[in-house]
Amino acid sequence: MKKLNKALLGLGVSAAMFGSLAANADTLKIALAGPVTGDVAQYGDMQNIGALMAIEQINKAGGVKGMKLEGVVYDDSCDPKQAVQVANKVVNDGIKFVVGHLCSSSTQPASDIYEDEGVLMITAASTSPDITARGHKMIFRTIGLDSHQGPTAGNYIADTLKPKRMAVIHDKQQYGEGIATAVKDTVTKKGVNVVLFEGINKGDKDFSALIAKLQKENIDFVYYGGYHPELGLILRQAAEKGFNVKFMGPEGVGNSDLSSIAGAAAENLLVTLPPSFDTRAENKALVDAFKAKGQDPSGAFVLTAYSAVQVMADAIKASGTTDTQKLQHTLREMTFNTPTGNIAFDAKGDLKTFDFVIYQWHQDGSKTLLK
Amino acid sequence: MSESLLYFVQQLLNGLTMGSAYALIAIGYTMVYGIIGMINFAHGEIYMISTYISFIAIAGLMMLGITWLPLLLILALIVAIAVASTFGWAVERVAYRPLRGGNRLIPLISAIGMSIVLQNYVALGQNNRDVAMPQLVKGGWLFGAEQGFEVSLSYMQLMIFVVTLIAMAILTLFISKSRTGRACRAVAQDMKMANLLGIDTNRVISMTFVIGAALAAVAGLLLGLYYGVANPFIGFIAGLKAFTAAVLGGIGSIPGAMLGGLILGTSESMTAAYLSTEYKDVVSFGLLVVILLFRPTGLLGKPEVEKI
Repeated sequence: MKKLNKALLGLGVSAAMFGSLAANADTLKIALAGPVTGDVAQYGDMQNIGALMAIEQINKAGGVKGMKLEGVVYDDSCDPKQAVQVANKVVNDGIKFVVGHLCSSSTQPASDIYEDEGVLMITAASTSPDITARGHKMIFRTIGLDSHQGPTAGNYIADTLKPKRMAVIHDKQQYGEGIATAVKDTVTKKGVNVVLFEGINKGDKDFSALIAKLQKENIDFVYYGGYHPELGLILRQAAEKGFNVKFMGPEGVGNSDLSSIAGAAAENLLVTLPPSFDTRAENKALVDAFKAKGQDPSGAFVLTAYSAVQVMADAIKASGTTDTQKLQHTLREMTFNTPTGNIAFDAKGDLKTFDFVIYQWHQDGSKTLLK
Repeated sequence: MSESLLYFVQQLLNGLTMGSAYALIAIGYTMVYGIIGMINFAHGEIYMISTYISFIAIAGLMMLGITWLPLLLILALIVAIAVASTFGWAVERVAYRPLRGGNRLIPLISAIGMSIVLQNYVALGQNNRDVAMPQLVKGGWLFGAEQGFEVSLSYMQLMIFVVTLIAMAILTLFISKSRTGRACRAVAQDMKMANLLGIDTNRVISMTFVIGAALAAVAGLLLGLYYGVANPFIGFIAGLKAFTAAVLGGIGSIPGAMLGGLILGTSESMTAAYLSTEYKDVVSFGLLVVILLFRPTGLLGKPEVEKI
């Protein structure tokens, strides 16, 4: 019996080795982890169309070291629990490269698993500073941090808008509360009077009590840290109550669904976003390639995800290895020329420079650059 | 009126609106519990489906050229009630009736399963993004601006409150006066005895699900118009709140559901007004715990007498 067990084990091991060798020979799998379902699935779409376009174009140009890239989509629903399951599944499936996750609260627990298992992860969307602040080696991002985005928003508020009585509202999530705190700290330092700092519950639909409170406190400017489903409703209900002050939010609120929820009230919104990389002259061919497939390249995370894939491919080409332990050094040493500009990573895995810009949002889902 | 009093009035109005919506959904829980002693966890999903149906109906009717608002809303309401009732009836038929008579926990599990099925069914059929509806009922009353705080009561809020009251009145009359209503009460008191006396209990139970679903459809349309947004997951939170309202008022009691809804809505808006929006749920669920400690059957619930 024992012998049989050993034989079976040996068979299993050799089969597994054979299997992985066979897979390695011609394809290199990249996991695309993010919400495919759930109420922020549109951001997952942005990431995936960007990453898949990069994979397609790299393959068209001959792949990487003779291997074709293959994107495998995993759905974490932007739920931290599901993100951990996805991370374990990615590890079990033997995939060594991840683009994702998307929501910071999902990225954080998943990144611990990737770090332990030597999986190289590049998020194209998570902006919470905590993710790269824990000394992880395998975790990178091709987007800026809340600690940059917050001050950008805060400085603009304090220097240009100069509100007298400001409120900061957040959704009590890692991303929303993190950025709301960063904004509050920046504006307070510059002498803006923050009258109200309050959390709401994600998933709430009725904000009439909150709006009455804002009216009573004579608030003349509101910063909201969180995602669009709640802010859309706040804007809509505020306008219904005749409370028409300016609102401002981070990139998590900036998408066309906000406009369909808020309607005309969306005109009251300012948003900090990564610059519109799709309007750069260098990217025209790429933008046309997206448009030819009927996809929208203007989403905030489309081209950052494209860059994440490209960075992985370029690093593998340059170092000639798919060993993630070596690649993480290569990533930190090189400068990559991507659709989001020339990017380089610092020791933490963050971008050395990344600027957010401020847009005025419109009710048809479009935006105009303010600063 | 002073400024702080006006602010209180505003928050009270907000709370009552929210509360009446909770009450409409809570009826569905309380009626089913009153009759067969089970909690229909799929009820929140019926509300969610009704919101979708009303959006679809309104869009369809507008395409047909019906733009006169009262007619539009009434037709949408009829469509929503018809579809939601069918769902309510079918859910009972498929998921609960075959399990009746067994352990009480089995239909409970089946209800949770049904809720997941319906949620995902809508998510797959309609995709899981928010669908939005432009504001149809506009305007409202404003007063108190010269005293320092302008109170606003939108026509939509008023409509939610009035329609809820009318629906409750009709339901109460139906239960207390009509033949079917009497049968409902008889089944609630003693199902076996009612059966022996020639009441078709299966029909009565189906009826209960249909009535509950119809009221959820009213809530679906009203709240759909008020918030203007729906996604496949709104049923869960709405269901949870409504269930809390039903328990608060005494599950099984129809006036209790109304009272529970209003208390829950008001306590939420008052907490948001004077404490912090963050503590809204803490306070309202804390309130539930306190009430259940002192009155385990809820505010208007009858103390359970063990039947021998």
